Amino acid sequence: MIEVKNVKKYYKIAEREKGIIASFKHLFSRKYKVKKAVDDISFSIKEGEIVGFIGPNGAGKSTTIKMLSGILYPDAGEVMIDGFIPYKQRKEYVKNIGVVFGQKSQLNWDLPLIESFELLKYIYKIPEEKYQKNLKKFTELLDMQEFINQPVRQLSLGQRMRGDIVAALLHSPKIVFFDEPTIGLDVVAKEKIRNFIRYMNETEKTTMIFTTHDMQDIEKVCNRLIIIDKGTKIYDGGVEEIKNKYVSSKNIQMLLEDGTKENYAFNVNEVSMNVVMEKLFSRFSIKDISIQEPEIDEIIRDIYEGGISA
Amino acid sequence: MRVYMEFAVKKFQNRLTYRLEFFMGIINTIITVVVFCSIYKALYAGTDSVDGITFQMVATNFVISLGLSNAFSFDEMFLQNKLHDGNITSELLKPVNFKFRMLWENIGEGVFKIIFYFVPAVVFCSFFMELSAPKDAVSVVLMGMSVILGYFVLWQISFIVQTWCFWLFSVWGIMTIKNVIVNILAGSMIPIWFMPPLLRKVVSYTPFEAIYFTPIRIYLGELTGSEILYSMTIQIFWIMVLYLIGDFFWKKGIRKLVVQGG
Repeated sequence: MIEVKNVKKYYKIAEREKGIIASFKHLFSRKYKVKKAVDDISFSIKEGEIVGFIGPNGAGKSTTIKMLSGILYPDAGEVMIDGFIPYKQRKEYVKNIGVVFGQKSQLNWDLPLIESFELLKYIYKIPEEKYQKNLKKFTELLDMQEFINQPVRQLSLGQRMRGDIVAALLHSPKIVFFDEPTIGLDVVAKEKIRNFIRYMNETEKTTMIFTTHDMQDIEKVCNRLIIIDKGTKIYDGGVEEIKNKYVSSKNIQMLLEDGTKENYAFNVNEVSMNVVMEKLFSRFSIKDISIQEPEIDEIIRDIYEGGISA
Repeated sequence: MRVYMEFAVKKFQNRLTYRLEFFMGIINTIITVVVFCSIYKALYAGTDSVDGITFQMVATNFVISLGLSNAFSFDEMFLQNKLHDGNITSELLKPVNFKFRMLWENIGEGVFKIIFYFVPAVVFCSFFMELSAPKDAVSVVLMGMSVILGYFVLWQISFIVQTWCFWLFSVWGIMTIKNVIVNILAGSMIPIWFMPPLLRKVVSYTPFEAIYFTPIRIYLGELTGSEILYSMTIQIFWIMVLYLIGDFFWKKGIRKLVVQGG
């Protein structure tokens, strides 16, 4: 479905030194620095997959999404999506995709939500029957009945985001790109959106790419994870695998008979569980015990910080 | 085509949501017209006609050209704002021609302002000022057609300047200069009749005369028969030329955007 081969995108950034003299110099001769936003990334995604795309700020996620959605030319490499080269056949290609930008809205600020949807019906030439069916289904799934007739400017962020998601999916696109769809939302709204995305993927077999900073999104929604940093891909594989691969440290939390708490952290590759337990049982009188694995957040943080190489 | 009509309709509805703006729009149009007419009334100071142009004609000129220029104003920072806040990307992700979408939204707004600002303002002014009656019903229809063509000329000029936002940080300054030039050379500040012959000659070679002055002359019956046909052809000629220029900048700009990433 999606084939990305050795894609590169470099930006030229004008560099400027501090001070007035440098500012004047800048007027006449400019020095440029090349920033490698995306540096040789390849991957392929099959139909019906939900892929989480993560990386620290400035890693090149948005640039990649832009190239995949056809609004940016790669400097090198090839992108082929559903038989289209997105940036060359943009007008034809965009009929088949939906894009949600968490930070921006494509809805008409002054008009009720439903009016924006109506307009999309014409933009994508959605047959009336299909439009009504989709609209009904989506509004039910996302609980939108009560605010669908309100002007968008009066909606809360969570409501607006749900509106934006519906707007991107009304024409039943084959591929949907979500760029931080849960940013700034509360737990309930996030949950609703995640469930909806899962549901759409399961029932419609829609292929989805998902960028986020919220690892909960990834754990609950995605079945595959691509991590990029400094423009290169550093991990590509299952969400569970990354845990198994990197979770070697465990933390044991104990509640003792005298009411105090005790923590013990160790690495399963170095010490066996038996040895640890024996030691602990002999040293403390334990009332309750729990063993914790590090959260996926921590794993990702370690990867970003270069603690673990993927 | 249907989809672009929808853009116009939505924009029309959009305008209806702001009630205060609606009333201010009418008042604004009336004030501008009254101010300009009063100045010229003083300048005429009881004289019937200057160079064969009566005060009535001047007043009619102002009602039409100022009224229309108010009605035809639209958000000329549209493209720049879309570019600066990054929403241009969402626009490019839609299977519609963004340029036509802009045009049709502006048409929706223009139709709204014609109905709710221009017509009330003209009716209001006609109670207080003696305006020239149109030559006949046909010339009103022909003027209507010419007004539409004039709108396209005006829109294309604005669009060309708007597309420069791909290269400039802000087009506001240039836009302001453009608007002054249009207001003066299109005759909505000083009627084109009163321009020095040389300037008038120069203006006749520019698209500015084709904006308001052609419809006004048709309305007043200054042009007849083949002359009307000729001036409308000139209008269409300018629309095509300006379209090609605008399209050139637009394509270059979009190309720059998708290659350099805005």
